Amino acid sequence: MKKISKIIVLIALSSLLASCYSIRLRSINGGPQPDPLMLRNDYYRGMEVIELDTVITIDITSKDFTYLIKESEKCKSGKLHSVEFKNTFGGSLLSLITFGRKRKMKVKYVCMKPTN
Amino acid sequence: MATTRTHALKEWDTLHNNGPFPLKTLYVTELEGDGNMPDKIDRYNDATKEIQRLIKETNDAHQGFRAYGSAWSMNNIAHQKDRMHYNGFMNIHIPMVVENLHADTSFDASNLFLFECGTIIKRVSEVLSAHGKSLKTTGASNGQTIAGCISTGVHGSALHVGAVQDYVVGINLIIGSNKNDVVYIERQTEPALNDDFAKKISDRIIRNDKLFNSALVGLGSFGFIHGVVIEAEPRFLLKRYVKKINKNLALELSDTLDFTNSAFKIPEETDAQGIGNIPYHYKVFINQYSNEPNYVVELMYKKSFVADYKDPFPVIKQSVYRDLIHLFTKMSEKFPKSIPWLVKRLRKTILPQVDKELIGTLPQIFWDAPYQGPAFACSVGVDHKNASKALDLLANLTKNEGPIPGIFALRFVKQSKATLAFTKFPVTCMLEIDGVQWNKTNKIMSLTEFSKRIIEVLKQNNIPFTLHWGKNSDWAFPNLLELMYEKEKIETWMECRKTLLNSDMQKMFSNDFIETIGLYSPNSIDVGDPDAPIV
Repeated sequence: MKKISKIIVLIALSSLLASCYSIRLRSINGGPQPDPLMLRNDYYRGMEVIELDTVITIDITSKDFTYLIKESEKCKSGKLHSVEFKNTFGGSLLSLITFGRKRKMKVKYVCMKPTN
Repeated sequence: MATTRTHALKEWDTLHNNGPFPLKTLYVTELEGDGNMPDKIDRYNDATKEIQRLIKETNDAHQGFRAYGSAWSMNNIAHQKDRMHYNGFMNIHIPMVVENLHADTSFDASNLFLFECGTIIKRVSEVLSAHGKSLKTTGASNGQTIAGCISTGVHGSALHVGAVQDYVVGINLIIGSNKNDVVYIERQTEPALNDDFAKKISDRIIRNDKLFNSALVGLGSFGFIHGVVIEAEPRFLLKRYVKKINKNLALELSDTLDFTNSAFKIPEETDAQGIGNIPYHYKVFINQYSNEPNYVVELMYKKSFVADYKDPFPVIKQSVYRDLIHLFTKMSEKFPKSIPWLVKRLRKTILPQVDKELIGTLPQIFWDAPYQGPAFACSVGVDHKNASKALDLLANLTKNEGPIPGIFALRFVKQSKATLAFTKFPVTCMLEIDGVQWNKTNKIMSLTEFSKRIIEVLKQNNIPFTLHWGKNSDWAFPNLLELMYEKEKIETWMECRKTLLNSDMQKMFSNDFIETIGLYSPNSIDVGDPDAPIV
């Protein structure tokens, strides 16, 4: 019985992990806005990364939403170089139980380096 | 006005984690917006003033100052323990026109462009492409800044072209905070720009071959490189082939570079008589731990540009698990004997796909190289005639005294005119071993020890060599500079630096790296006469 429970837990855990994955899009042109302090040690080392981890609530009548990229200190050009979207089991579940009104948004993005 | 943000820091590191190194202050300068200052020359000169202000501020504090860009060098050449300046946001470009040319120039105005120091190679290529032009060569990737490339001698494997510094025809240096401290230097024998234009961006114009050639690979120590004038060429395509060929044949080609008479031929790359064409690029990949009879070689042939070539980019690019690389490193440290097995497992990641052909422009072929974790690279330059001998010695060193977690490659670069270019042989074979960083254990020697053994082995076997300025080595090896360069070249470089920079600036623009190799000593300042003619 114990063995079966363990297998069930393992399958459940595997399903949860498999439902959590990232997708990254990157432009072939342009360079990323640099981070001179090089604070990261991942794929984005040397890049100025903006991370969003929030829940967006939209109207019941809205089908989807558009998140606008604006010029800021971390996004001087206001143009996108790369975007990474992370899908989580919790996020999918949240959207499901709220009939799509609440959307988990876990995104990293890097803006284009300004040109002169 | 250009603005500078000042960060008080305790340390600084390279992109590939080759530090950290101590630091007090990091400056980050950004240009005035083009909406507020539309004229590019005005913005460029506005930045000059800001850099001069920072130089004065640093000099008043009796500290050192060093500019850097993408931090791609894998040693401390870009490092200064006091103040460092990040110039990656300084990326103005100005195309030259006929009216800017020197009366005696042989350059075509449409090929000349002024790029500000922090412009990365990718951006340079994009600008040139928009003008129907191309760089003549780049490194294996595109993230270095143009000033960083020439300061350290970045190269590709263009047999008949040279390194990045070899298409630079003018340098704009800021060598102090006073009037007359902004200079434009070009060769007297190959003038590019006329005084009218040069005066727009400088106080003084120096046309002198010796000084230009010394400042060209200046190791970040000839002042602040504000801009460089490069010579581009009309856009072209490169057709890339990856083949597996017999080791002996690959090495024979390395030693002779005789592609015309070699038994190795690519049917599509022969003339009407069946004689092999001369490639633009030749690279040999060597897994020194494998007993396979063949090596993977990469060849590229230059083609005229046409618009309708097949897109060379894949849609999906996969990255290796960082954890896998970490595991590789840890296994290398604890069980070095496993390195050959690990290298074999990763061969698909570290070697190009055999028999895959593609065609693209230079910037498409030598595209982005994403960060993949702490890395090392040791790169020695030898006369290509000694390529196979040097490879045999260093591969044996790696096998007998290692193993070391990396594999070798050979690239070939035409001789440079720069005084301290490591591509100093008629055609230099750059023999490099790249891999993941490791920590010394009782089972594997340190990177510095390995680097020291490389120098010792080449020295013992009387193989003249140089070392890539931007890569790992035992830079404190006794008399290293004299082992690599003729006395006259070393003296010329040092004399030119002394002539150009006053004693304060010589000290300010030095660092541990150039002091370690003996190109500068803070205790023996020999003040050059600024009015003396540079001959």
